[in-house]
Amino acid sequence: MSISLEIQLILLAWGTLVGLDLVSVPQMMIARPIVAGPIAGAILGDVATGLQLGVLFELFQYDILPVGAVRYPEYGPATIAAVSAAHAATGTLGLGLGAVVGLITALAGGGSLRAVRRLNTRAVHRAAAALETGDPRVLERLHVAGILRDAVRAALVTAVGLALAQLARGSLAGTVSLRGVVLLNVAAVGAALAGGMSGTFRLVGRGPGLRWFAAGLVGGAAVAWLR
Amino acid sequence: MRAAAPARPPLARSLLRLFAVQGSWNYERMQGIGMGVAEQPLIRDLSGNGTTYRAAVARAAHFFNAHPYLCGLAVGATARAEHDGVPPEQVERLRTALCGPLGALGDRLVWAGWLPFTSGLALIGVALGLGLRAVIGFLIVYNIGHVALRWWALHAGWTYGGRVATALREPVLQRATTLSAPAMALVMGAALPLVARYLTGGFLGWTRAALAAVAAGGFALLWWQRARLSGLRFGLVLLALATLGGWLWR
Repeated sequence: MSISLEIQLILLAWGTLVGLDLVSVPQMMIARPIVAGPIAGAILGDVATGLQLGVLFELFQYDILPVGAVRYPEYGPATIAAVSAAHAATGTLGLGLGAVVGLITALAGGGSLRAVRRLNTRAVHRAAAALETGDPRVLERLHVAGILRDAVRAALVTAVGLALAQLARGSLAGTVSLRGVVLLNVAAVGAALAGGMSGTFRLVGRGPGLRWFAAGLVGGAAVAWLR
Repeated sequence: MRAAAPARPPLARSLLRLFAVQGSWNYERMQGIGMGVAEQPLIRDLSGNGTTYRAAVARAAHFFNAHPYLCGLAVGATARAEHDGVPPEQVERLRTALCGPLGALGDRLVWAGWLPFTSGLALIGVALGLGLRAVIGFLIVYNIGHVALRWWALHAGWTYGGRVATALREPVLQRATTLSAPAMALVMGAALPLVARYLTGGFLGWTRAALAAVAAGGFALLWWQRARLSGLRFGLVLLALATLGGWLWR
């Protein structure tokens, strides 16, 4: 199944907003995979795939804490690219193919964040003398340029992700055997669950939170079993 | 010459700018440039000839690093201190002193509390079949807390000025910090089995056993090697192995 250029452009615009939201503006959490994925699914007319990949990448997202200047992958535009790949692949290949495309895009997104920060640093360093004079126009120019840089970065990462999705569909869909599809899906979901559990455990820690976590686990397992 | 603090400061304009406080994040001043931009509306009326204003702008753009949602506390406090005629060195010291506590508080309250708590609820909602409603609910509920915290921080900073440490001891904040960790742990604990069931619904027979083994083994590996191995790298390696396995086992 192919995706029209109009839809690709809407996905690109959505990915740019999602990428901007992660760090620059306004941090209202549309960059979370659980939001980015389903909205991408809605744009493609396939909310179910968007929700599924949104949940999958949200688990990967728990593996990281955006504290200070820590380096982390970017899962927002990655989830959009993953949904695009999975939607167009249709059938059973969806999750696995989406995960391959999404994780590579997340890695690229993380690298691009560091690149933009280095560019910002260079710009601030160059303007150091003007900044010390307290010229508000210099300050505003630097700030707006930083936001624009991040917007271009987010658009590029999304474009790379969408291109990768197109490429992966062409090269993997149809050539992977049924067993290969199953293995890919097991790897994608298994890695997401492992990452989600490990991240959550780190977050909860060994203190009193562990008792609450255990209580939640028992309750959640009971509801899952009853349904 | 200092100007008396205005009775109705343009806090809303400053708040709007605070939503982009990390827009020019860099390794030299970190959030400094964004802080300067956000503080501008509050210090614009500082003096007649502009030198006091410019000196305050230059100070406002110096190095700063804290939780983005709580930057408003430092913006409000330093702007108020500038109006109150606090000496420049003391304003600088106030900014520096706020970095650590605001970073630690925000990380505990938001990144390790409110965010995983609300996104965990969204995961539970999706797993229980609420679909897009769970996602929209997450956005609304999360951002009520988000915007309220940003507004409180800026308002408290402006109100307390140089005595801003008092604001950090407010009972509501203390209670929220105490409650956020157990609430997050409970919700995340409940979310994990429900999400596991949601994602594995299409897996049958031996694939379920394989999935359980991969998830358990992966968790053990990620926990054991947590300083070196990330979920992303583990996932990429596993997918590469699965692709190779798929080609070999036709």
